[in-house]
Amino acid sequence: MNKLRTGAFHTGMILLSLLWLGPVLWVVVMSTRSFDDIAAHGVGSLPRSFTLDTYRQAWTDGGELRALINSMIVTIPSVALSLGLAAMAAFALSRFRIPGRRTILLLMLAGNLLPPQILLIPVAKFSELTGLYDTIWALIAVQVGFGLGFYTFVLHGFMRDLPGEIQEAATIDGAGTAQIFTRVMLPLTRPALAALGALSFTWIFNDLLWAITVLRTDDNMPVTPALLALQGQFVSSWNVIAAGTVIAAVPTVAVFLRFQRHFVSGLAIGAVK
Amino acid sequence: MSDFDPGRRRFLGHLGLAGLGALGASSFLSACASSASGPTTSSGSGAVTIQSNLSSPQAKAAMEKLIETFNGQGKGTASLNTIASETFRTQLPTYLTSANPPDLYTWYAGSVANDYASKNLLLDVSDVWKSLGDYPQSLRTLSTDASGKQIFVPMNNYWWGFFYRKSNFAKWGVQEPKNWTEFLALCETLKSKGIPPIGIGLGDTPWVASAWFDYLNIRINGAPFHRELLAGKQRFDDPKVKAVFTRWREALPYFDPKGKAYPFQEATTALLAGKTGMFLIGTFFADAAPKDALGDLDFFRFPIIDPAVPLAEEAPTDGFFASAKTANPTGTKALLSYLAGVEAQEAYVKASSGIVLPANPKAKASDSPLVVKGKAMLDEAKELTQFFNRDSSDALQPTADTALTKFIDKPDQIDAILREWQAGAEKVFKG
Repeated sequence: MNKLRTGAFHTGMILLSLLWLGPVLWVVVMSTRSFDDIAAHGVGSLPRSFTLDTYRQAWTDGGELRALINSMIVTIPSVALSLGLAAMAAFALSRFRIPGRRTILLLMLAGNLLPPQILLIPVAKFSELTGLYDTIWALIAVQVGFGLGFYTFVLHGFMRDLPGEIQEAATIDGAGTAQIFTRVMLPLTRPALAALGALSFTWIFNDLLWAITVLRTDDNMPVTPALLALQGQFVSSWNVIAAGTVIAAVPTVAVFLRFQRHFVSGLAIGAVK
Repeated sequence: MSDFDPGRRRFLGHLGLAGLGALGASSFLSACASSASGPTTSSGSGAVTIQSNLSSPQAKAAMEKLIETFNGQGKGTASLNTIASETFRTQLPTYLTSANPPDLYTWYAGSVANDYASKNLLLDVSDVWKSLGDYPQSLRTLSTDASGKQIFVPMNNYWWGFFYRKSNFAKWGVQEPKNWTEFLALCETLKSKGIPPIGIGLGDTPWVASAWFDYLNIRINGAPFHRELLAGKQRFDDPKVKAVFTRWREALPYFDPKGKAYPFQEATTALLAGKTGMFLIGTFFADAAPKDALGDLDFFRFPIIDPAVPLAEEAPTDGFFASAKTANPTGTKALLSYLAGVEAQEAYVKASSGIVLPANPKAKASDSPLVVKGKAMLDEAKELTQFFNRDSSDALQPTADTALTKFIDKPDQIDAILREWQAGAEKVFKG
């Protein structure tokens, strides 16, 4: 009976993970088919050709190298800056009796509830007013600004639950607020920071909306709009786009694998006391 | 809450420190801003920037080659900026209204360009047209705005028609129909052989149905009525418009029932595989065909319904317009003159795989039988229309998509559908 249950569990899980992996596999298979094969038999048919030239096309014709570099230039500072600022804000809001701290927090959270679409035009006009339009800096500023509220909220919840005694002990030992923050709070918040870091990396790296809102020069575009630019006006080479997508997925997958440990422990922290 | 109060004075002290940090961060940001905005302003007065939506690999390569040649001629410098066509469509108004816009844009002729011209966003390019004396009058009219100045320079156009595979028509023993009756007879023959006669692809690309509306309307009511209708001067619930749908219903049973589910690219695949008989589509669909199938393709014009109506064809015209705010009008016009010339247009036609006709009458189109036939068809036409959205606006297109897909689903409800369409169109024209 127990064996039967284990067997059923495993078949169920295998089917479920296949369902999950199916679209990914489909894209990988599509990326190795030739254009004529797809044009003659459709994107959904079984592959009748094999080529890796699509990867070369995506890399050189699609300008993926330049786009990936741009993505990194945007993503890394955005993640660092937004997490840094959010950690400071969360520290202040959770550990000090700042007047109106609840309101501040709720205001930051409320900002996240606004659908980004209604802010597209204000953001485009504002970036133009500040002279940042069509520069990477505009994109970094937007990403930091929009991430801040949510990261602060999460980190605030996390820091609030850290025992106050640690901070008291540090104060007695003569540590100032800055020292408490950098040498006590930040190391303790590491799991949450790592988890948020991995998440925000994926979000910012995969963002398309803000990139096409504040940028218009193709040399500045990060990888998602560059992938979009592989599409023609009427007809698209789906095999090349699939190859480009596979390439573009590598950095996020790498970050997730690297931070996986923190990610799981970050989620579980506070679950048991 | 384990709040911790380390004493008010100390807190304030650190608040001051934090403020200093914030100040530093903001000056850091503004330093970056000034260094980054430097090259943008200099490119405005020096090189002419072209914002291009020609993002398919062949067209992009063709444009890159043209710009390279232009830069080699020493009449000025230009830089090409290729943006995904869907992004380009949504961002074009932002580009044009921004304080420091790109100089030149690829876009469509006709009502869409005139809309921008009426908002004073486009550069007067009448100077360029002075050297384009041999361009046909139809293209000149198309490129002229309401105030009588030219605001557009055409690059090429293409045609729509019923495409089919020659080998399949031979196998089925059928010929091209000349008029509506023959067309319906052809559909009946194909249907009796078990082949869905008319292919269509409305999933994701519902605008393809507008070609049917455009053609039926210009065949039954003529091109002038069609233009007035799309400009809001006629009503969609007019009996003349209803007549269009009465005709359409005659052909509706012959539509491929699967066509509602997939986009036109897959409808192309179905046509080439012999799963549908023919397909009303623009020549751009050939980009989605495998190279070995191209030689087997042929087309016939949309069948004549009323011989008394002057012959009109859809010939969407692509080209360029420039921003009124360009910092370098001389350079922009020099580039436009080059792009309108024989050399550039022949090079573009040769490099792009698409089946297009150059706008310059002296430029040679490709001499494939398909292109020769298409050119002859357009030359024979008394009037040329663009396409539903190009003759009206991108805002009116969704109202057509809704009405036409609904009609294909429920042709009985045509009166209600047309009333809704009129109401939807009124909102667009008012807004």
